[in-house]
Amino acid sequence: MLRVDNLTVCYGQMQALRGVSMEVSPGEMVALIGGNGAGKTTLLNTISGLIPPAGGSLGWEGRPLNGLTPDMICREGIVQVPEGRKLFPAMTVEENLIMGAYLPTVRKQSRESLRKVYDIFPRLADRRRQLAGSMSGGEQQMAALGRALMARPRLLMLDEPSLGLSPKAAAEIFATIRVLNKEGLSVLLVSQEVLETLAITARGYVLENGVVALKGPSSELREDPKVKTSYLGL
Amino acid sequence: MQKYRLVAIAILIVMLAAFPFLEPEVYYLSFMFSLFMYVVLASSWNFIGGYTGYLSFGHAAFFGIGAFATAKAASMLELTPFLTILASIPAGALAALVALIVGYPCLKIRGPYFSVVTICFAFVVELTVKNIEFLGGAEGIWLKFMDIPEKLSRSILYEVMLLLMIVTLSVAWWLDRSRFGAGLRAIRSDEEVAETMAIPTAKIKIQAFVLSAFFPGIAGGLFAYYLTYIHADVVFNINISILIVLMAMFGGGGTWLGPIIGAVILTVVNEGLSTFAQAEIARIIYGALFIVVTIFMPNGIIDFFRKKGSS
Repeated sequence: MLRVDNLTVCYGQMQALRGVSMEVSPGEMVALIGGNGAGKTTLLNTISGLIPPAGGSLGWEGRPLNGLTPDMICREGIVQVPEGRKLFPAMTVEENLIMGAYLPTVRKQSRESLRKVYDIFPRLADRRRQLAGSMSGGEQQMAALGRALMARPRLLMLDEPSLGLSPKAAAEIFATIRVLNKEGLSVLLVSQEVLETLAITARGYVLENGVVALKGPSSELREDPKVKTSYLGL
Repeated sequence: MQKYRLVAIAILIVMLAAFPFLEPEVYYLSFMFSLFMYVVLASSWNFIGGYTGYLSFGHAAFFGIGAFATAKAASMLELTPFLTILASIPAGALAALVALIVGYPCLKIRGPYFSVVTICFAFVVELTVKNIEFLGGAEGIWLKFMDIPEKLSRSILYEVMLLLMIVTLSVAWWLDRSRFGAGLRAIRSDEEVAETMAIPTAKIKIQAFVLSAFFPGIAGGLFAYYLTYIHADVVFNINISILIVLMAMFGGGGTWLGPIIGAVILTVVNEGLSTFAQAEIARIIYGALFIVVTIFMPNGIIDFFRKKGSS
């Protein structure tokens, strides 16, 4: 479904990604883990079209994604939930959600999408008229996830969805992601909650200094001595 | 509620349109003309500056382009007064076209850099016009007077500017409630996020910029005919650019009502001060007013009173 081949990304002189290859198959939930500055967010932003790649290719269902603008990529069904939620703080929850369905193709179904999102997160329905910036971190993450769902994604890319959340709120978010994946949504999950992430994903990639250091089934990664010492502190 | 509001607006429009028939002094007609003009300018600027947060400090350029295009067309083609007024529409289209060409590269630049570029753009346009002999160069362009009594000509221009204001405010009303406007607000809030949410930011920024240049271009054309003599120093004056921004921000950028309130208050205050106080003192009071408002009402008068009302 998504295929990244030998991708290189540079920030000026600095190479942030050096020949990264990975893929996500339909209906799969894939983990992307790694320390700070490993290039996880860079990879997501490049797939989203926010950063132009310096080399390599991005493929989506057999067609190249290179050169497409972010809104065109979103139209293809690849939607990112950015790190730190990034809601529009001065808009209400419902306005934020509606903004997620900006594309003409999904706008027609926005009423229905909205109902679906409120079904998944009843708390958002209670807070629909509240300003997004005034909610708790957990509720904001729900709103950010809901907004992404409004765009009717086929591949959802989540960047640190549990960042700054209470353990309870984080567990809720992970549970929801799992349910969405079970319903057939492909997910690329970036997280520093390595144990939790490897528990709910099928496969994973470990990114280090802009290269894929390790890859394989999540259950194997969890047992890998390198992962254990570097990321799990065991 | 909505119904009453519409009725109130309709009554207000009828009253404004009927005003010249009460045979007021020419001074009041001229004053209202410039009031309407500033409402048009501030509301148009708001499309780009208020909603997206791209503070254009060069909007006098579009005003001036409209003025010069209309004046040149009128004097070259010897247009009748009626046609001269109509000529301001293609002049507005020319301003919009320039905005399209300039906006394409400029709107890729964000924050204060965009503001600086727009200031430079306005200077470039002004200098270009001044150095083109064909456009009157440093001498400016004279237009023929209308062959009718002054009060009648002022009344006609009053009505036309009123019409332009109504059209501009209708577009602004639509924009405020549309998906387009929501997209522009999203850009102001966080452009990167707006992009990842499939909002075609580059496209709608240009559309807003073009729209925000069109109406000032027409206003410039009417202004040229109103003055009957135009000069680059007058219509490209950077003070106009600054005044437009201040009016919109003073009332409240990114809202429908804000620029209207800002333009009305500041035009009235400016006029009152220059009538009742010496020009120098007027400037000082005017400046002080801005400082006070900027400090105590950073989001404009509208926001200030809304917060007061809700607390």
